[in-house]
Amino acid sequence: MTESVEAKTEAASGTASGTAADSVPGGYAAARLRLLQEESRSGPPRRTALAELTDQWLAALLTGGAREAGIAERDGHAQGVALVAVGGYGRGELSPRSDLDVLLLHDGSADAPAIAALADHVWYPVWDLGLALDHSVRTPDQARKTAGEDLKAQLGLLDARHIAGDAALTAGLRTAVLADWRAQAPRRLPELRELGQERARRHGELQYLLEPDLKEARGGLRDATALRAVAASWLADAPREGLTEARRRLLDARDALHLTTGRATDRLALQEQDQVAADLGLLDADTLLRQVYESARTISYASDVTWREVERVLRARSARPRLRGLLGGRGRGGSQAGGAGAAERSPLAEGVVEQDGEVVLARAARPERDPVLPLRAAAAAAQAGLPLSLHAVRRLAAAARPLPVPWPPEAREQLVTLLGAGESTVGVWEALEAEGLITRLLPDWERVRCRPQRNPVHRWTVDRHLVETAVRASALSRRVGRPDLLLIAALLHDIGKGWPGDHSVAGETIARDVATRIGFDRADVAVLATLVRHHLLLIETATRRDLDDPATVASAAEAVGSTTTLELLHALTEADALATGPAAWSAWRGSLVADLVKRVAGVLAGEPAADPSAPQQTTAEQERLAIEAWRTGGPVLALHARSEALPSGEPAEARAGAPASGALASGAPASGAPDRRTGAQPGTRSHAEPGAEPGTESIGVELLIAVPDQPGVLPAAAGVLALHRLTVRAADLRAVGLPEELTGPAAPDPARPAPGAGAGPGVLLLSWRVAAEYGSLPQAARLRKDLLRALDGSLDIVARLAEREAAYRGYPRRRGVHAPPPRVTVAPGSSRLATVIEVRAQDAPGLLHRIGRALEDAGVTVRSAHVSTLGANAVDAFYVTDASGAPLRPVRAAEVAREVERALR
Amino acid sequence: MKLITAVVKPHRLDEIKEALQAFGVHGLTVTEASGYGRQRGHTEVYRGAEYTVDLVPKVRVEVLVEDDDADDLIEVVVKAARTGKIGDGKVWSVPVETAVRVRTGERGPDAL
Repeated sequence: MTESVEAKTEAASGTASGTAADSVPGGYAAARLRLLQEESRSGPPRRTALAELTDQWLAALLTGGAREAGIAERDGHAQGVALVAVGGYGRGELSPRSDLDVLLLHDGSADAPAIAALADHVWYPVWDLGLALDHSVRTPDQARKTAGEDLKAQLGLLDARHIAGDAALTAGLRTAVLADWRAQAPRRLPELRELGQERARRHGELQYLLEPDLKEARGGLRDATALRAVAASWLADAPREGLTEARRRLLDARDALHLTTGRATDRLALQEQDQVAADLGLLDADTLLRQVYESARTISYASDVTWREVERVLRARSARPRLRGLLGGRGRGGSQAGGAGAAERSPLAEGVVEQDGEVVLARAARPERDPVLPLRAAAAAAQAGLPLSLHAVRRLAAAARPLPVPWPPEAREQLVTLLGAGESTVGVWEALEAEGLITRLLPDWERVRCRPQRNPVHRWTVDRHLVETAVRASALSRRVGRPDLLLIAALLHDIGKGWPGDHSVAGETIARDVATRIGFDRADVAVLATLVRHHLLLIETATRRDLDDPATVASAAEAVGSTTTLELLHALTEADALATGPAAWSAWRGSLVADLVKRVAGVLAGEPAADPSAPQQTTAEQERLAIEAWRTGGPVLALHARSEALPSGEPAEARAGAPASGALASGAPASGAPDRRTGAQPGTRSHAEPGAEPGTESIGVELLIAVPDQPGVLPAAAGVLALHRLTVRAADLRAVGLPEELTGPAAPDPARPAPGAGAGPGVLLLSWRVAAEYGSLPQAARLRKDLLRALDGSLDIVARLAEREAAYRGYPRRRGVHAPPPRVTVAPGSSRLATVIEVRAQDAPGLLHRIGRALEDAGVTVRSAHVSTLGANAVDAFYVTDASGAPLRPVRAAEVAREVERALR
Repeated sequence: MKLITAVVKPHRLDEIKEALQAFGVHGLTVTEASGYGRQRGHTEVYRGAEYTVDLVPKVRVEVLVEDDDADDLIEVVVKAARTGKIGDGKVWSVPVETAVRVRTGERGPDAL
């Protein structure tokens, strides 16, 4: 401390002796150097001391210059001119290589040459010392005008601080600038926000970058300054917890960086990190980065909250006149609003609504009884491209109970949906992460959280890299048959980082455990484990091994095992590389990997592929329904409530339509019978009220429909379900021939269309797994009635669905979220009896109806269909034939695929 | 001085690096490259779609050496890169006027 006091005294004595300091800048330079080399002082005291030292020097320069230029003086202070520090220097925080932001203020009383001479006298010594100087010469009015035009100038002036000269001049400017800022805040704060977002786009997010820019990146020093500006506007204030400390740490790191590099850089490059950490007295570079990331998280988080608050305040102000107009003018909607101040809410999912551009919990939501709610809300928010409100996340974090192990199917689906939403996943994931919900869902996440990786190819921390890989993978979801496995593998592929040894090996064990816990069956767990274990196999083999060597291809094929896994691994490789950094993926690498994949696929092609067209067992119930349909000549329905308490590892059985034992409160399946019995039919009994019994919330129903074979069944049935707001999670359609001895005695209705030629009378059996978008399930009787009307053409499904869509258009659903386009392909040679059309698309209300209609329009007959929804992705296969029951010719099949794809765009 | 350039199959890179190190070469530059020679393009079928591969992935390795070492070094690279199959690549050398080590300003052979 004594040294610095000396330094200051020297500088002060320089000022006192008048001309000594300004004629000999070496005095300041030496004192500055001593201060920066001093071991004992760092951090805020050093920044303050440096600012003070500089103040004294500049003050002496101004005084000397004013005398020379002949400017009037009073009490030793120049009149009508003032030297003002702005920006970081104004805050009294000078880093070793910071710019000096200085404004020479004058009131216009002195003539122009005198002011120019004074400016030269102050600026030149600064330049001569090689210091970066950001300078301007203005009158207070000019300064205010510049601030009005240039937001950055305005921000600098908010921190204006008097150094020397006419103190009243500076004080006047400060007052005026602050008053202007407050008056113009509603217009300028959005500008400031835009500026920050632009900066974040350019420099990325500090908390995830391995070589972050401490100043410009999101969560960096500039954002902290912006928060001060918001506070100065009196419109909103940031949550203060930890903010000062976070800023201090970032400034300290920047000081050390300036001293290490000897340059005014703010980017904490890999090669400087060790030295900076040592200068700060930290254990190693990882500790430094973690500290920097935590600080950035605090600042980012404070920014998010503050800016949302600003938006809310501004919206409330601008909405007031409009509201008044509504109340005074049209009375419409007054009663709907349900009281003053009720904001418009539109449902997104069970227990989740959109309000004011944010996703919040519905009033009826019970986080303490609904363990899937956090994931459901997050998935809905990500899919809609909306932020999850802070309040909702906090409430979920406080109240939600842990998910049972293994996870119920809905939780798994929601996780996949969340991961598959593309770019908007990141924000929602961050929101959950900030309140600790992610580590609660996936305890293994803790190890990769905020984990830096010392690897020049990587850009992100491990956790962000994993989420980023899922984002990239979602864009590739049309390329694979199991997008759910791709997304989960993307999230887990580096989960082994932070454990000793090869991270792929450690990761395999963890991935197995996680996949089992989140409820995948044994086969899927094995695929996920392979994907994580071998996520580097393709890229390493392709770039380092001889692809012409059969042994190379054979060993890769052995590791991968199946074409399905290969397809997934290929997509994962690309997503992983894209999410790593710009150097990790190129067309060059892509072509090598594609070449390897093609060769491995050639080896694996010998493996028998599962044939989904294999005849399935018809259950007794399905047969009963089929016969009843045939007898009555109309559709017959059965609804089964399906609870979450499925025996694990048996979802296939449940999907095939077998009643889940123990889940049937009412026991007997409901059967939609002819109209005259509608009133008393048990169908109305069998539907379960969601959440009626805690612990066994129904997540959907099995719906069986049997219809005598006729054209248009698929679009009609799918359309009716869409109209009743039922989401199709899985569907299975096939034509069954009834045994002759069963159908023989009953005389078929002569008006009915003739069944398919050759075999016995045909009945189409559709088994669906459906879930209500929100609210309770409809009654079987109503579904049946609508299905009848749809089949005879008296219900115009197309028009009704269009109406529904138009009603939704008011809400910006899926804001800024772009799903990859649908993809329709012909599966080559997978069945001799029918052509297989594969459809992969973003799930949407009425999707299956549209596909069915497109197939009908193309003039093909759907013999059977296998529809599954994996997260937000629909993966469907349709077995189609031409009118004569034969497979399509290849050219025609390709045409049909194109027509369907066009219809879905 | 000579600049030796080798355009070879990517998977031979590790062998080439090892061979060059054994020879005593301290530095080299590697670039991802694509191209074709006498083999020209060929047609591939991938994911059901036919496409023509007219550019084959290669790596380009560049080494600066003194004149006396050039021939030996070319031999070393060729040996390490050879698989005996089509598409093994090319190695060539060109004379270099001067070289400067940026950090120290050393010139000529001293800069190698």
